[in-house]
Amino acid sequence: MFIQILNGIVYGGLLYLLAVGLVLIFGLREVVNFAHGALFMLGAYIGFAVSAAGYWWGGLVVSMVAMAIVGCALDATVFRTLRKQDHIVTVLVTFGLMLILETVVTAIWGKAYLRYPVPPLLAGTVDIFGEPFPVYRLFVIAVAVAIALSLTAWLRFTRIGLYVRAASTDPRITSIQGINVDSLSLIVVGLGTALAGLSGVVAGPLLSLSPTMGNYILIDSFIVVVIGGLGSFAGAFIAALLIGQIHNFGAVYLPWAATILPFLLMVGILIWRPTGFAGSRT
Amino acid sequence: MSLLGFHDVHALYGNARILNGVTFSIAASERVALVGRNGVGKTTIVNTLCGMTHVAQGDVEIRGKKIRNLRGYTAAQNGISIVLQGRGIIPNLTVEENLLLGAATRRPGPWSVARVQELFPILAERRNSPGLALSGGQQQMLAIGRALMANPDLLILDEPSEGLAPVVVDELAALLIRLGKDGLGILLIEQNVGLIHRVAERFYVLSKGAIAESGSLLNVSRDELQRHIAI
Repeated sequence: MFIQILNGIVYGGLLYLLAVGLVLIFGLREVVNFAHGALFMLGAYIGFAVSAAGYWWGGLVVSMVAMAIVGCALDATVFRTLRKQDHIVTVLVTFGLMLILETVVTAIWGKAYLRYPVPPLLAGTVDIFGEPFPVYRLFVIAVAVAIALSLTAWLRFTRIGLYVRAASTDPRITSIQGINVDSLSLIVVGLGTALAGLSGVVAGPLLSLSPTMGNYILIDSFIVVVIGGLGSFAGAFIAALLIGQIHNFGAVYLPWAATILPFLLMVGILIWRPTGFAGSRT
Repeated sequence: MSLLGFHDVHALYGNARILNGVTFSIAASERVALVGRNGVGKTTIVNTLCGMTHVAQGDVEIRGKKIRNLRGYTAAQNGISIVLQGRGIIPNLTVEENLLLGAATRRPGPWSVARVQELFPILAERRNSPGLALSGGQQQMLAIGRALMANPDLLILDEPSEGLAPVVVDELAALLIRLGKDGLGILLIEQNVGLIHRVAERFYVLSKGAIAESGSLLNVSRDELQRHIAI
């Protein structure tokens, strides 16, 4: 049972890393980024390419930096332009971006599933209540917790974090205080996509690499964002852990319903509390 | 040299022309009122300064320098703080965080969180409350305090008396007179004749998107001013 809970936390941790990027980007740009799963996938492939040369940790760093650059470019060229458009336009454009990124990755690495190795430092298992548990999965939990704590501290205790929280609520008022929200957004979208790269690399050894690997986890991440509350970082953390447990226990005890349980929860939450656990927007 | 000048400014929202050649200027330490009935374009002047309209013709000058590409942050970064109609308090930030947001430009000057809290003690008492937990009058204090945190040379207030009890409007007038005497320039966009008469030295009347009349408030009675607003 405890091992099942840990496995649920592992998946919840991955979901959090992806969902928090969605929250950051939606907060500043109000863009529902359907390309975020493809950015996660691209990050995993970039990490894989460097890792194949024998540099697993280098792959992690290179992937985050590369995805941050991709994010900044996306913000400057696409998201900034989409800011004043209807939400349906942003959905269509980011969906198109997703297809483009999948096609590019397919052209470079092919459609075949690829195996991402676990770094030697994190190979093996540890005994938890007499049962073996992979060290790598504990690493995934540690990364998610570290990111959650760092992000919370950054948002709560730094000047830029204050501006991000303000701009996520009201970009116009924030701008009138003398803050260049476009520059702020460049930082935030870059951070959000860097986290997509990080989660892609971290998820690599747990999932097989394929050009469509981001699609399923993106849907779960959207459910996390909706349940947690649009724009809420704390809500996303709680919702990711909840969906992780539902995903895991559902697969073990209700396999026939495992895929629909998160959707049922989302529908219930939307009816009971349309703003989600901790959000202020619908 | 004026702190802020609009010179024959024509501004549009989409295809709708709201300002039709507005010209006015405010010098350092002046207290000026911009008056006019609803819908004549008073708030559009603020929005134009914030880059939210398309300036089809004319120039906006800050300290004698023509500003192309006006953005939301341009005014604050050039020493002009704006208290918006409706106050614009960020609801999920605390009172103190709202104040700190106002210091984003890091312009040097006398105003700090401590000094604003000294001016408005209630903001010290409620420092950890969410901004929207304050009453209307307290929110107006927070909005003005936040604007002062930028250490501006000019403070623009858009309908600051809206929704305030008369006693609070009196306090607001006393505060603005005091700030003006300390050398702060003030542009008061208002319809409350009593407040205008107490605070401002000069006035502009805006009508149909252009300045219809201007002058010193010393030569204009409240009734005359009221008539200007009602034209």
